[in-house]
Amino acid sequence: MLQALADGLLTGSIYALGAIGLTLTMGILRFANFAHAEMMTWGAYMALGVLTLFSLPTAPLGPLTFGWPLILATVIAAGLTVVLALIVDRFVFGKLRGKVGHLTLVFASFGVALLIRNLINLIFGGRAQYYTSELQIAVPVAPGLRIMPDQVVVFATAIALVIAVHLFLQNTRLGLAMRAVSESPPLAQVNGISLARVVRWTWIVGGALAAVAGVLYGVSVQLRPELGFHLLLPLFAAAIAGGVGNVIGAVLGGFLIGLIESVSVLVIPAGYKLAIPFLVLLAVLYFRPTGIFAGTTGGK
Amino acid sequence: MLGVALYLVFFLIVVTIYAIVVMGLNLQWGFTGLFNAGVVAFYAIGAYGTAVLIGPARDRLIGGFEMPFLVGLAGGMALAALAGLIVALATLKLREEYLAIATFGIAITIQLVALNFEALTGGANGLIGLPRPMFDLFATPGGYNLFYLIFVLAVAVVIYAALERAVRSPWGRVLRAIREDVTAARSLGKNPTTTRLQAFVLGSAIMGLGGGLYVGFIGFVSPIDFLPILTFQIWAMLIVGGSGNNRGAVLGCLVVWGLWTASGYVISNAVPPGLQSQAGAVQAIIIGLVIVLTLLFRPRGLIGEEDVVSAHARDDEVTTPQEEIPAQQGQ
Amino acid sequence: MPRTNFTALAAMAALAAGGVSLPGGAARAQDQDCQHPIGAVLSLSGSMAAIGSAIGDAGELAVEHMNAAGGLLGCEADYRLRDDQGQPSVGVDAAQSLVEVEGAEILLGAIQSGVSMPILSSVTVPNEVTQISCCSSAPSFTELAREGGTDGYWFRTLPTVRPQGFVMADLANERGYERTAVIYVNSDYGLSLARAFEEGIEAQGGSVTDMVPYNQEQASYRAEVSQALRGDPDSLFLVAFPADGATAMREWISLGGPQNLLLSNALRAEEFVSAVGAQYLTDAVGIDNAQVEGPSVEAFNQSWEERYGEPPAGPGLHTMYDAAAVGLLAAQAAGEYDGTAIRDAVREITGPGGEVIHPGPEGFARAHEVLAEGGDISYVGATGPIVFDEFGDVTGPYLIWGVGEDGALTEVETWQVERVNELMAATGG
Repeated sequence: MLQALADGLLTGSIYALGAIGLTLTMGILRFANFAHAEMMTWGAYMALGVLTLFSLPTAPLGPLTFGWPLILATVIAAGLTVVLALIVDRFVFGKLRGKVGHLTLVFASFGVALLIRNLINLIFGGRAQYYTSELQIAVPVAPGLRIMPDQVVVFATAIALVIAVHLFLQNTRLGLAMRAVSESPPLAQVNGISLARVVRWTWIVGGALAAVAGVLYGVSVQLRPELGFHLLLPLFAAAIAGGVGNVIGAVLGGFLIGLIESVSVLVIPAGYKLAIPFLVLLAVLYFRPTGIFAGTTGGK
Repeated sequence: MLGVALYLVFFLIVVTIYAIVVMGLNLQWGFTGLFNAGVVAFYAIGAYGTAVLIGPARDRLIGGFEMPFLVGLAGGMALAALAGLIVALATLKLREEYLAIATFGIAITIQLVALNFEALTGGANGLIGLPRPMFDLFATPGGYNLFYLIFVLAVAVVIYAALERAVRSPWGRVLRAIREDVTAARSLGKNPTTTRLQAFVLGSAIMGLGGGLYVGFIGFVSPIDFLPILTFQIWAMLIVGGSGNNRGAVLGCLVVWGLWTASGYVISNAVPPGLQSQAGAVQAIIIGLVIVLTLLFRPRGLIGEEDVVSAHARDDEVTTPQEEIPAQQGQ
Repeated sequence: MPRTNFTALAAMAALAAGGVSLPGGAARAQDQDCQHPIGAVLSLSGSMAAIGSAIGDAGELAVEHMNAAGGLLGCEADYRLRDDQGQPSVGVDAAQSLVEVEGAEILLGAIQSGVSMPILSSVTVPNEVTQISCCSSAPSFTELAREGGTDGYWFRTLPTVRPQGFVMADLANERGYERTAVIYVNSDYGLSLARAFEEGIEAQGGSVTDMVPYNQEQASYRAEVSQALRGDPDSLFLVAFPADGATAMREWISLGGPQNLLLSNALRAEEFVSAVGAQYLTDAVGIDNAQVEGPSVEAFNQSWEERYGEPPAGPGLHTMYDAAAVGLLAAQAAGEYDGTAIRDAVREITGPGGEVIHPGPEGFARAHEVLAEGGDISYVGATGPIVFDEFGDVTGPYLIWGVGEDGALTEVETWQVERVNELMAATGG
């Protein structure tokens, strides 16, 4: 049980990071971006690409399996993911925005997701890959609880980023503008907020967070072209459970989904694990369609 | 030459089955504007539903009711409709894209159920030895395939005719009215939620029918029949042909499935084996490009939607459903 | 991917060289202007792509050997390989066009049972074409054959997994493992093998702590591993394919699972060992279908190495060669290129009795001579002696393997067919 809770929190922290970007796009750009999780895959693979291209050493830090090279690669990967997000927006979503119903945007993102996923498959191949072949042995920290040093770092990084995003949205002019657009785009424009600028920054923040989340996921498990495809449902469930556009809600939603998923395999066969986010999602839609954490103040 | 003809018969059976599924999707997206991201789920439910009902009884299985094929088909359709109802009820009153997310979720869930619920679905081994309707009446497989082609064609024509009637009926005009402008439709006294629900559930049932027909043809069903890529294939068929137009939907099936199988043929003959492992990725990229580029540059597809919305009013450009009060849409 | 590129190069080189490297026979085959198409449907793209193209090469090698030995029934055997993309509908389409348009009377494949089965039920059985699979291991084929659903057109050269499970159970017992957890890939193969293992353990009075299925191609198997660890097992039987297996195994070791490991046949791959790390696998034992030692296996290994420049390592190569060879020799013995005649001849050219024929052009040339004189042949192939039972299944010997400290795969012992049968009889398998 203790182990399940710890695992759930770890997975949840990665879901939370991914769900922030998703909830921002859903709130500000007003469409469900099926390609968001593919940006996580993209970010994770770009980091791998940087490591391989420059044949950087693993250089583990202390008890960790990775070191400065991966951290550097992550920064570059985040940049490359932002570039991808802006390119896609420039050539696909931007062209459609305003001209067609927003469901066509959803549809386009669905096609873009397939494109990105298979582009990665084509470049990097379909098999599982790792940042390092080092293997970490979990340290027993309490009876029935083993934790890997990597996991602690992943968790801490995720939390730190969540706090940073929160502060950004609360305390900067840009963050304020983003929240305003999320509330009401026409009103925000009347108040002199540039919609194009907000859209751009939404992609920058969302893309960078997705890339980091992808790398963290890659560190704690592995890289696969389907990485994002399997994460999409938990991310949507987290964003909706948290109330669309609500950043704190998405974070709490991420942890909630991670915990429920992890604890549920104690009672149901693990084979059904991927369906858990869907059931949570259905329950939320039936009973609290505005989100479980709709009342919280925060990014909204 | 006979061989080619026999292969064509087979090929057309598959295309016709997909065409039925695409018509179901067309009702949802083309005519009503509902985004279904889990087409494969409804197709799979219809297939498994039919298979469980018609299959031979076995000790370790719950199913195997050995029912007649047509009963199995109806059962599969009913189950697919039920699944459609569950996601539609949860999402249709809310933001539109919730339906997309929920259907995406049901596709993943159905795949897991197919794989894990062994007592019902046979798990990874699938359900084997399913009877093919009237198989024993034919001496040669070619003869049987010809019969089956005529059968699925008849089903497709009935669905085509029924859908054409439905979308030209007052009910169909309400569908388009909702798609174009929900607020206007609502202000005219139409209840968008109920009408959408009807269209979505009906579309799901048609997809289920396609699944059942596939089972009757292949005589076997297993989880790998329902890979996620199938959803994209079906979508590409619809959008290439032109959503909102059933003739386009059928044409799209022919083009996309033809290219898909032909590309497999070309790749396996022209590309060195060592590079073929990436061929699947290339095919998927092409499908993705087809979807995105069509949306960007040719949103009406190869044929596109006809502007005519009523059999009586051929010059009517826009959807103006004010002349008749449709009886079907309740309230 | 240096290996695959090399394969492609080798194939091109062979094309360019024509019949030069093959002793005489190829030239003879080229004179003939008639062709008998040999159909093959394999996963060259999709989830099984990593092993698919090499398996395709194995089938091609057998066809080349047959042509070098003088062709098939006075014609050239023409190998037509098609991709099923891991999708049944595509596989069925490929099979249909091979059979209807190209006129194949022998269909080799597919790899996944979920593809082989619809091909069998909707293409080969109705069209009376003999289908021989190298790799589909699901027990449902045996079941279908028992019900009469295959009309005898189905054969597979890969031993069914059931005896494997019993041998592994015996091995666990012998090593003193009392509480084994099982993690298995949720596929026909994994399910069947895990079940058989559980049955075998129970037959010996033991029990397994947990049977945990995992779904393929997930990024993490931590939940499954945690579930398997709950029963405090002293050992693990992992039934998996190399990539997912490595993920699960890494997590098992990281989470402190005991390193008493039993590994399934598909894990006998360099890829698995290097991904997990050899240092964690020194206590592991695995099973695989034995490449029975002997001149017939040697003959195959040698000609593979000559043709492709490296030893035949990887799943399905030996069984695919035999699948193709059995089909070709049966057609030759049948005297006509017809699916039903081929089906009926399969058991004539395998099993004891008759002159022993080994893989390779020389062996096939000898088969031509014996058959031309009206004699009997007994094909002993790349997987050793082959005996098809009434359902088209074979039983084979098994190889127990381990991992050396340098990461090399080692051979621990071999179970001959007799010993396997004894064990099955003793434990009620």
